Amino acid sequence: MIQRLLPFFSLIFLFLFLSVASPHFLTNTNLSSVVRQTAVINIMALGMTMIIVAGGIDLSVGSVLALGGLMGAMALEKGVPIPLGVLCGVGVGLACGLTNGFLITRLRIEPFIVTLGMMGIVRGVTLIISNGLPVHRIPSGFSFLGEGNVLGVPFVLWILVGCALLVHFLLEHTRLGRYAYAIGSNPEAARYAGIPVRFHTAAVYAIGGALTGLAGMIEASRLMTGQPTAGQGYELQAIAAVVIGGGSLHGGEGSVVGTLMGAFIMGLLSNGSDLLGVSPYLQQAMIGAVIILAVTVDEFRKRKVG
Amino acid sequence: MLLELQGIQKRFGGVTALADGNLRVEAGQVHLLLGENGAGKSTLMKIVAGMYQRDAGRMLWRGQQVHLQSPAEAAALGVAMVHQESLLAPHLSVAENIFLGREERLPLGVVRRGRMVAAARRLIEEHHFPLQAEWRVDKLSPAGKQLVEICRAIQHGSSLLIFDEPTSSLSDAETQEVFRIVRALRERNMGVIYITHRLEELRAVGDRVTIFRDGRSVHTGALTAISTDEIIQHMVGREVSALYHRTPLPPGEELLRVEGLARAGALEDISFTLRAGEIVGLGGLVGAGRTALCRALFGIDPVDRGRVLVAGRPVAIRGPQEAVKAGIALVTEDRQRTGVAVRLPMVANTVIANLPAVSAGGVVRAAEEIRVTARFMDRLRIRASSPRQLVGRLSGGNQQKVVIAKWLFRQARVFLFDEPTRGIDVGAKGEVFELMDSLARSGAALLMVSSELSELSQVADRILVMRQGRLSGELPRGASQADILRLATLSQAHSAEEPRA
Repeated sequence: MIQRLLPFFSLIFLFLFLSVASPHFLTNTNLSSVVRQTAVINIMALGMTMIIVAGGIDLSVGSVLALGGLMGAMALEKGVPIPLGVLCGVGVGLACGLTNGFLITRLRIEPFIVTLGMMGIVRGVTLIISNGLPVHRIPSGFSFLGEGNVLGVPFVLWILVGCALLVHFLLEHTRLGRYAYAIGSNPEAARYAGIPVRFHTAAVYAIGGALTGLAGMIEASRLMTGQPTAGQGYELQAIAAVVIGGGSLHGGEGSVVGTLMGAFIMGLLSNGSDLLGVSPYLQQAMIGAVIILAVTVDEFRKRKVG
Repeated sequence: MLLELQGIQKRFGGVTALADGNLRVEAGQVHLLLGENGAGKSTLMKIVAGMYQRDAGRMLWRGQQVHLQSPAEAAALGVAMVHQESLLAPHLSVAENIFLGREERLPLGVVRRGRMVAAARRLIEEHHFPLQAEWRVDKLSPAGKQLVEICRAIQHGSSLLIFDEPTSSLSDAETQEVFRIVRALRERNMGVIYITHRLEELRAVGDRVTIFRDGRSVHTGALTAISTDEIIQHMVGREVSALYHRTPLPPGEELLRVEGLARAGALEDISFTLRAGEIVGLGGLVGAGRTALCRALFGIDPVDRGRVLVAGRPVAIRGPQEAVKAGIALVTEDRQRTGVAVRLPMVANTVIANLPAVSAGGVVRAAEEIRVTARFMDRLRIRASSPRQLVGRLSGGNQQKVVIAKWLFRQARVFLFDEPTRGIDVGAKGEVFELMDSLARSGAALLMVSSELSELSQVADRILVMRQGRLSGELPRGASQADILRLATLSQAHSAEEPRA
């Protein structure tokens, strides 16, 4: 039990340590910036949690984030109302997720391969549509999504909390979630139990895609551009958050609470290093080491359980 | 004398696999090893091949006592084994597999591929094997793979070759080819030990025979001096005392009717019925099509022809989803792969096949699913600390009960049990039978695949026997083990005119 709570204690420890070590850490401005920085990865990681629980993986989310953000921004440029523009970005993400799910379940190709291919295809499509150029002429009101505050708290935090509650509810309390755990834990047994495995697998990828599309709109709002090159490498950060939070790439394990902690541990490490003047080069290495450490601890815990 | 085994014993934990194994094999002789599943034949052969170490007894190789510690030591002596399941490297060529681990090497580990291929080609031509040195092994038929193993053995200068059920997965033509090769090996003065379950092929290859029963060699002698009926009597022995007694029920309504089910290469013209309250046994050798029949009925493998009716209604079973919906449940011997998710709690495993029953509008009611699971824990006497315990921490017998709980909650009425007692200890077996009995009493129809003749003859109300993809016959309750074995191993024509030698 103590080891299961390790990510939680690490997060608290990191938080307390930074509060003491840097006078700039525990300020409204800094904490808001941590929240805004991690929200994008966090929301993607929520979708990734479902996918990993169901025994899959999605390497295309970085590219999907860029395509969703770009298409949403283009819609806004055309004069579409802001909520509809955001919905457009989410829809594009959903469509990409559905495509992933379709290819994986119908053609029976490994998720790793399908999403690796989609990572390239979607990025290519994004660059072709935009001709490699960012989309700028966006109504200024759009910045509220990524930079605004509601009741003194960053708007993205409200969105994150909403998405986290939704995904938690889906995973823990609905049929879809139960099937996701069952499929990820033992796909053969799930099939033998008469579960519609393909439908639910595709549904999980579609939800992951939609969340990524939303993350893409937040990213676009923070940059106030639709960047065709946005999100490169984000897929690995999202996977890292899930894994640090106790998710298993073998499927059947992972939780929303764990993933949130995983993403915030990475966010605090990066923010703290900035505040303490640690070189950004060293930061990368530190985060890499944390991933390996977290998984090692988790493996030992599981082996003890047997 | 090539090989002599005297009083070999081997125990695994508390289980005695071999109590008294004796065998004498001479060069230029094909020695048949017969016995039921679990009689100790394979254990003895694994000791000869260095895969297991004996606990007691003597093993003499060309008159010298030997203690083999590894398969490599056995191979160095000249013992080679052709396995049922091929142990070749599937992505390498025939030639590479023949020389695997014994490649001719130049400095820096460079393999002399040209010479290797040439040597393999000479070997293949010399024996007229239908093989090419360059072919990839995963493209070969099961018979082709066996040929590669035989080539390996010859190339390495083996003088004793062990065949473990070589023909169980082969077609008739391929079987004839294996016989030809076995006879050719005998001509070359090699010793051959040949394990088989197909009694009618004995006389095509064998010289001498040793029969095993319950870990002991009970008969040895020339094959010409014993009739097939006598062989069966030796294999079965006296009928063992009842391990389980069941009072049959008057059969109720017909729950499953199968008409002319066929699947190319696996099942031919299978027709039978199951009634409520019945436990019907399904016997036959490994590879006779029993598992294929269960898989086809459950929609895992597609069928080419035939009809399936559940409770009088025809159902089209295209996949497990339709089978489950129709009320069919499959309990396989491989629980961990197809039955339970070991890393999930018991509650998730119990309700997974019928989530709508514990949910409202797609939302699972947590209290309800716990209540349901607790009820099954109680009813099936599942020993777990709580409904939330991970299934991986339960014993094999209790995991089996979780699988049954899952199907009971799905309200399945036709249960297909594929080797339900495999890997379960004797005490738990009785409990599984009681559970099956109570399923039958609650109005379910059960089909029980079993390789243990004693189980079939004591638990089943009727016994269907399969042989080479067909139903070869049906026996009444309490049929003798010898009768089952006869139907499983001999074609009708053969058993009718058994020559008395």
